Amino acid sequence: MTTLLTGVKAKMYIFAHRRARGVLDGEYASIFRGRSLDFDDLRDYVPGDEISDIDWKATARVGTPLIKRYVATRRQQLLFVADTGRNMAATSRGGDIKKNLAVMVMGVMGLLAIRHGDSVALVHGHGASTSSLPAKGTESHVENVLRHMDASSLEHGSSDLCARLEYAASHIKTRTLMVVIADEITVGERLAKVLRRLNAQHEILWVEIADAVLAGPDAVHNADGVGTDVQGMEQVLLLLASEPELARHYAQATAERAHGLAELLKSNGIAQTRIGATEDVMKQVFALLERHRRAR
Amino acid sequence: MALKYWWLLALGLAALVTVVVVLWRRRTATNSHLPVAHAERLTALPAYQRAVKRRRTWLTTAVAAVAVLAVSLLVAAARPVTERTSIPEQLNRDIILCLDVSGSMLDTDEAIVRVFAKLVEKFKGERIGLTIFDSSAVTVFPLTDDYDFVAEELKIAQKALSVDSTSFEYFAGTYEAPGSSLIGDGLASCINGFPAVADSKRSRSVVLATDNLLAGKPLFSLSEATSLAQKADIRIYALNPNDYGADSLFGKAADGLKKTASVTGGAYYALESESAVPAIVQKVQATEAALLKGAPQRTLLDNPGWPLGVALVSLLVLLTAGWRLRR
Repeated sequence: MTTLLTGVKAKMYIFAHRRARGVLDGEYASIFRGRSLDFDDLRDYVPGDEISDIDWKATARVGTPLIKRYVATRRQQLLFVADTGRNMAATSRGGDIKKNLAVMVMGVMGLLAIRHGDSVALVHGHGASTSSLPAKGTESHVENVLRHMDASSLEHGSSDLCARLEYAASHIKTRTLMVVIADEITVGERLAKVLRRLNAQHEILWVEIADAVLAGPDAVHNADGVGTDVQGMEQVLLLLASEPELARHYAQATAERAHGLAELLKSNGIAQTRIGATEDVMKQVFALLERHRRAR
Repeated sequence: MALKYWWLLALGLAALVTVVVVLWRRRTATNSHLPVAHAERLTALPAYQRAVKRRRTWLTTAVAAVAVLAVSLLVAAARPVTERTSIPEQLNRDIILCLDVSGSMLDTDEAIVRVFAKLVEKFKGERIGLTIFDSSAVTVFPLTDDYDFVAEELKIAQKALSVDSTSFEYFAGTYEAPGSSLIGDGLASCINGFPAVADSKRSRSVVLATDNLLAGKPLFSLSEATSLAQKADIRIYALNPNDYGADSLFGKAADGLKKTASVTGGAYYALESESAVPAIVQKVQATEAALLKGAPQRTLLDNPGWPLGVALVSLLVLLTAGWRLRR
């Protein structure tokens, strides 16, 4: 049963009509061109490693699971770090639910990865709990990853992307291509710290799912003009959004936040993209991969 | 102040409470607000806090206005009335001043006219007429409720009747027959001054000032005139300045007047001086008023003014608040 992945594939064909998927494949492949680090050694097994990478003979000799390092580096691992808390069940800029956009992004990139022979892993969580899915290179595993993303709902715990990143920093030992599925989080010392740490180990791509606009002419509207802040489940008055002074202040504050994040990512050499609607996913993912390839 | 349909107020308030409760329930039941993340992007802004505060103020105003509007309309619907039990003093009297202007009567006449000149100011609905007579009667003015005119006429009469007056023009026409103080004729003329009996609801009275010192041959004797008055249901209040007791020369004349007054349901007053006139006229007025008192009536005075006024004001407030909230 691969319903989510089927949906992603269908959308890929719809939205990718201008750019052949072969081109995208090429973009993906080119990221890892010449990336064969020749560590011919063994290391301890940590959760997240492929079972097939375990050197069973060495393991039998030593008594603890050991990984063949050079084999692992030849096969790249695509690691999604996503928060599945309430934030992802909120409205996106385009009006769709944010998790649907995340599923689309993860589906597209995951499919590219497994087609290329790489594996896909996931660090996810909501509220105080974070967990991970091990890296595997099958479509059913990608479907499983998407399922975890799709499970995000308003009944879930609150969102904390930094916690997921910290988990990844402390638990993922392999070098991965890390795709962070973020939303419009505010930049802070905590984020800067964990990003610095992660950046030393991984190649990071930053995908920002754009949140709904709350003030100004493009603001979201519904019948009663009241929204719910999913963080604290409190009411937010959206009717006020049309006030010009408020819109001005809001635009200023949003621009400051975006600028702050862009500065942080730039200083770490992390490519980022921003996706507001489903139809933008293909284009933006392509642009992100392109940008990342050139940045190296 | 009372509410005629007070139960309507209770009913309306109950309905109002029900509506509020139902709305509240439904509001809490359907929580289909748009979920948004990172709302602090908006809510942390001071401009947003200000806007919320402003909106809350206007919302409170609107809710208060609706409540006041509903309650005031309910109060208006419950019909606030002032209940008043009153004995309506009937103001539909006809009074004819019938003044004997023979020489001996002038002082009394002046006093009577002066009193009526004052009373007319307070009249409302009453009609008054003035007839003077000596050997023949002259209608100075017929029954009228044109009080400006009456006041004017009474002023002229007062002047003509006063001691200082040297002109006798005012009395022209009162000496057309031989004799003096032809009281029967005078009274009959006064009685004729009333309209035909058609308007029976108006009370009729004659204030007759005479000493009844008849000199000459009248067409109507006093008793004949009295029976005319009885037939027409007219009360006669007789004022006699020359009553010095039954033994005196005037005793018999006074008796005639007394009889006339009593059989018509009026009264007889012997005047000792002109200064007694006001008191006596007051007494006549009081007697008349007492006779005319109707049955006590309960009247309900609607006063919807203030609840409707409050409703209007609250409606204006509501419209203003609505306009502010809509922007």
